[in-house]
Amino acid sequence: MPTLLTVPYVDLARQHAAIKDELLAAAGRVIERGDFILGTEVAEFERRFAELCGVAHAVGVNSGMEALVLTLKALDVGGGDEVITPPNSFVASASCVALAGARPVFVDVDESYNLDPRLVEAAITPRTKAILPVHLTGRPAAMEALVEIARRHDLAIVEDAAQAVLAERHGKRVGAWGTAGCFSLHPLKTLNACGDGGVVTTDDARLAERLRVLRNLGLRTRDDCVEWSTNSRLDTLQAAMLLVKLEHLEDWTRRRRANAAYYHAHLAGLPGLTLPVERPNEVQVYHTFVVLAERRDALKAFLAERGIGTSIHYPTPIHLQTAAGSLGHRRGDFPVTEHQAARILSLPVHQDLEPHELAYVCETVAEFCRRPA
Amino acid sequence: MPTKMRVPYSYLDRQFANVDDYLDDVRGLVQSGDFTLGRPLTEFEERFAAMCKLPYAVGVGSGTDALILALKAAGVEHGDEVITSPNTFIATVGAIAMAGARPVFVDSTEGYTIDPSLIEAAITPKTKAIMPVHYSGNVARMDEIAAIAERHGLIIVEDACQSISAERDGKPVGWWGAAAGFSLHPLKNLNVWGDGGVVVTRSAEMRDKLRLLRNHGLVNRDEVVIFGHNSRLDTLQAVIGNRLIAQTPFITETRIANAARYDEAFADIPEIRVPRREPGVKHVYHLYMLRVERRDELLAHLNENGVEAKVHYPIPVHLQPAAAYLGYRAGNFPVAEEDGRVLLSLPAHQHLTPEEIGYVIEQVRAFYNG
Repeated sequence: MPTLLTVPYVDLARQHAAIKDELLAAAGRVIERGDFILGTEVAEFERRFAELCGVAHAVGVNSGMEALVLTLKALDVGGGDEVITPPNSFVASASCVALAGARPVFVDVDESYNLDPRLVEAAITPRTKAILPVHLTGRPAAMEALVEIARRHDLAIVEDAAQAVLAERHGKRVGAWGTAGCFSLHPLKTLNACGDGGVVTTDDARLAERLRVLRNLGLRTRDDCVEWSTNSRLDTLQAAMLLVKLEHLEDWTRRRRANAAYYHAHLAGLPGLTLPVERPNEVQVYHTFVVLAERRDALKAFLAERGIGTSIHYPTPIHLQTAAGSLGHRRGDFPVTEHQAARILSLPVHQDLEPHELAYVCETVAEFCRRPA
Repeated sequence: MPTKMRVPYSYLDRQFANVDDYLDDVRGLVQSGDFTLGRPLTEFEERFAAMCKLPYAVGVGSGTDALILALKAAGVEHGDEVITSPNTFIATVGAIAMAGARPVFVDSTEGYTIDPSLIEAAITPKTKAIMPVHYSGNVARMDEIAAIAERHGLIIVEDACQSISAERDGKPVGWWGAAAGFSLHPLKNLNVWGDGGVVVTRSAEMRDKLRLLRNHGLVNRDEVVIFGHNSRLDTLQAVIGNRLIAQTPFITETRIANAARYDEAFADIPEIRVPRREPGVKHVYHLYMLRVERRDELLAHLNENGVEAKVHYPIPVHLQPAAAYLGYRAGNFPVAEEDGRVLLSLPAHQHLTPEEIGYVIEQVRAFYNG
């Protein structure tokens, strides 16, 4: 059977083709000045990013993972503490807790793929220091419920907003709900550096100040080291290129949402396929467009044979990874997550998809779903 | 008085005055979108390992991360002690603490590196590793340190952040340790356009652990075997490194020649102590440091006259607020503490002209003769 089209899951070349000259010009300005470390553009990017999220402060760091680790450390989460987080995320949302010296305590998710707030309180112990909800797929977690639980139990909330820049719930953007919001600027994110990068948002001036110290080896000034820390700075070069991309972020997000709307219009009601739900009180940004497919592996193979790239975010829940061995979990501990892990499939949804490509994906998915099993 | 010149400490504007070739490479990378652990990184790692005359190199996010990941890969963990010297950049000690261990300090020698004769007294049952710092581009007395480590079953992790291409008795830094961490920070002798670091090792097992540790413990896209870090050398920086690494021999030789000129010029000034240069050591002068009388006055004089001299570092690490919990106090490490008061760093980089070096020398002489 001839492949009519190829629809790659990601296409960074396409994204960059249009803005390459702007990116290089921005990089060139940094190079001419030579202020590669915590230079002008880092502060400018932080100012703009904070404004975008509706918070007072943003602190650029070296990756989304470091955003999480440094935030936990800045909140004094460490040895003996517990942090509540979902098991169906990229590993960073649990490993950041382990790297901070604390213990990740998993709580299952609901059909939104995000922490089920009804299950959170049962997991709180005297050692619980924070809740770390993930806005998986670009859909905000049930923040109003989680904020209320955190308030009742005097816990911090660290939002893992790695996939969710610009997502909103009740008109409030992610990164503005918790004690702090942690974002990734990884090349596969919608707002993406040309390398690793991350940023933390917060309204708490003291937390922001401590993060600035922690990202820079514990230095308050060149010669005054107030606590040992690592080196985790957002490169000026990356910040300069991110400022170029920031101009396009709202447009890219709008296009991702339009792609998702197209899928909703053309894939609804197919047998064996469940689409993500978008409620009126939220704005999802579709870092991924995740469907639940009863015959997931067959569908994935069917699409691959027809040139359509898909992905699985993520096939093995964190509690079942080898790295989590010491936490003592077993299959069956988090049934919703495990049920989803066997069925989820991410369709291409990036902003550079062409209408005919979307149509081709929909036709091909429909063809599969209408076939007898 | 000679005509006033400006002799900057940093040289990045001169090094990258003509950036078009670099930008062509960057353009190619941006077009490909291959930003994470891409092919240029593998090429850079191979070149870096070859330059260090060791089999393996692993690119990471910074020199600090190189040390943290090297310590972790070598098995250092919570509750262990790691011996190092207090006259270093704080990153050495930050790395030990980030690996979960307790830093234990031992004073340094005239050459600013750990004094091997003091190490054994600092060893306890909790000591797991020694982290000698090849500070300023000098090489620690590694044969003696290696013998001590062997006698006590300790691991060596070398802090080579300032010492790319440095050697002792023909052996390159990185030769003695289970691993060695290097920095590619913009002011290092091999510098990229942001933060970057490299770990070198002769062990394939260490290399594999380091690759896991830098990339979330992932053995493939979906399997996580340890809770790791995210600390990858950006492919973009590897692209720059691949161009710059060819310059490293020139940079190194030029710094060595500049240092030799300074050494000779200052040998007969009684207020200046030029450290004895050990035969057999290839010191690469990331920092050119002298012990001088009336340091702060000389520093002010030089700065006023356009020479960007600096102090690395006025406060030894054991007296930093961050070290308070370790219980050290002033007087514990007399050599490091005196160095905090008397050391001065002069610009010695590869972009200085002979006239600029001459001007620095004249200014130093003028200060002591005036």
